[in-house]
This record gives sequence, structure tokens and C-alpha cells, in this order.
Amino acid sequence: MNTQLWALAAAGTVVLAAAGLEAYRAARARRLAAGTTSAPAAEPYILYFTGDNCTVCRTHQEPALAKLGSVRVDKVDAVAERELADRFHVYTLPTTVVMTADGRALHVNYGYAPANKLDRQLAEARSGLTLEQTATA
Amino acid sequence: MALTTVDHSALKVNQTGIVATVLVAFIGSYFYRPLLVLIPLLAVVLLVGTFAPQLALFKQFYFKVLKPRGIVKPRPVQDRPEPHNFAQGLGGVFLVISSVFLLPVPVIGLALALLVAVLAFVNLAFGYCLGCQIYFQLGKRGLIRAS
Repeated sequence: MNTQLWALAAAGTVVLAAAGLEAYRAARARRLAAGTTSAPAAEPYILYFTGDNCTVCRTHQEPALAKLGSVRVDKVDAVAERELADRFHVYTLPTTVVMTADGRALHVNYGYAPANKLDRQLAEARSGLTLEQTATA
Repeated sequence: MALTTVDHSALKVNQTGIVATVLVAFIGSYFYRPLLVLIPLLAVVLLVGTFAPQLALFKQFYFKVLKPRGIVKPRPVQDRPEPHNFAQGLGGVFLVISSVFLLPVPVIGLALALLVAVLAFVNLAFGYCLGCQIYFQLGKRGLIRAS
């Protein structure tokens, strides 16, 4: 059983290390992308980075975005529009960015973001919170 | 490249097959060491299935047995099969490396096989496909034609 236990410990360590690295990477990318500007609009809106190869985008993210109702969603192909994707440090798909009406990135979600989370973030964008305020909230 | 219809139930059955096979090999090898042979066999199944989908064992089990009998319901999704095939091939490659280590350093061999099973489980349970993300990154860097 020793072999199996050591193998389990080794695999567990790798999984934990990968999860830690992923959390660090997401936090770093979020920090770098925070405050990035894009086009202003009348209302807060969502930049939705997707791609042909993104299955979760179609099975999870798009139904979640559809639940938001009349919110403007700008769909961006992350491979075709690489420059814009790099500006928001998109390293995984889907990525959703909640933009304030004056065109600042308020929240960046790497990976699937459920509708209630996006709703909450949009409410913050409507209430005019700044990124610094949401980071300390 | 145009989207096509991918039956996600076939993918789920494939992932279930990977997790189950690795678990049987992992736990079973404690009682009966020759069961470790399941890992190289699984590597062959995954690699053959990547290059010849009509020979993908678990998917064919779904299409020929589970689906016609209504045991598993189909779930067609507008999707592209390439990232999933890439992820499967990557799993196969990791299992080949695992197989190489199984006899000289079984801890590394088993740990690698467990990692493949964990990733298949994460995909099965949460829909997160690491191989597909790697495919996206390679496409973004122009290393493969991803779109």
C-alpha cells in the first residue's frame, strides 16, 4: 500500500500546487487588468471573451449571460482580437469583464462566471463604485 | 472553422471510463499487481481514439450500447471536436509516460495516472477541460491552427 499512498500524496501535492498557481495567476491577471479602459457607454456593460474552441462558453457562460436580460454584452473572439485580449490579460476562456459606463474594467472573471455573480458586479458598476472600493469591500 | 454538433454525453462517458479504469488499476494493483496493465492499455485506447475516433472504445460503447438502449441520453452541443480530441490525446501521452515509469518507479507512474484521472474527473464534474485551455493557448500563440 506504501506505493499507492506515496503516489496519492504526490498527485495531491501536484493538484494543490496547480490550484495555488492558478489562484495566484488569476489574482495577478485580475490586478493587471483592473482599471483597463475601453469604450464608454450609456450603461455598464460586459466584455465577453470567447472562442470557437471554448465549450464551456456555449454550455455554461452564454446561458448565464442570456439570464442577465437587456445588459449589453460585447462578444470578443480572444484569438482573432488578440490585442484586446492581451490588454485584459485573458489567459483562459471564457473571460468576462464588467465595464462601468465610463469604460473602466470594474471586475474581471477568469473562467465561468454565473449569472448571479455578474448581476452583483453589474449592480456595483451601476452604483458607481470604484475598483479600489470593490477590492477593499 | 465551422462549428459542428458534438454529443457531450459521449465525452462524459469517455471521461467516466478514464476515471474508472485508473481507479481500478490504482486500487486493484494493491491486491493484484498485474492490474497495472490497465494503465498502458488505457493509454493505447486514448491515443487510438484520438487519431481514429471510430475506434475510441468508450465513445463507441456509448454510441453502440448506452445510447441505443436509452441508458444515457444524448446531449448534442454546437461545438468543435478538435479541443476535446487534443485533450484526450494529451491524456494518452501522459498515460504513456506513466506506463514507462510504472515498473521502475511505480510511485511516479501511478501519480501521473492519478493526475490524468483527476483532470478527467474535473472535466466530468465541472466542465473544466485543461487540455482545451492548452489548445486555446497554443492557438493564441499561433502554434496550432485553433480557429
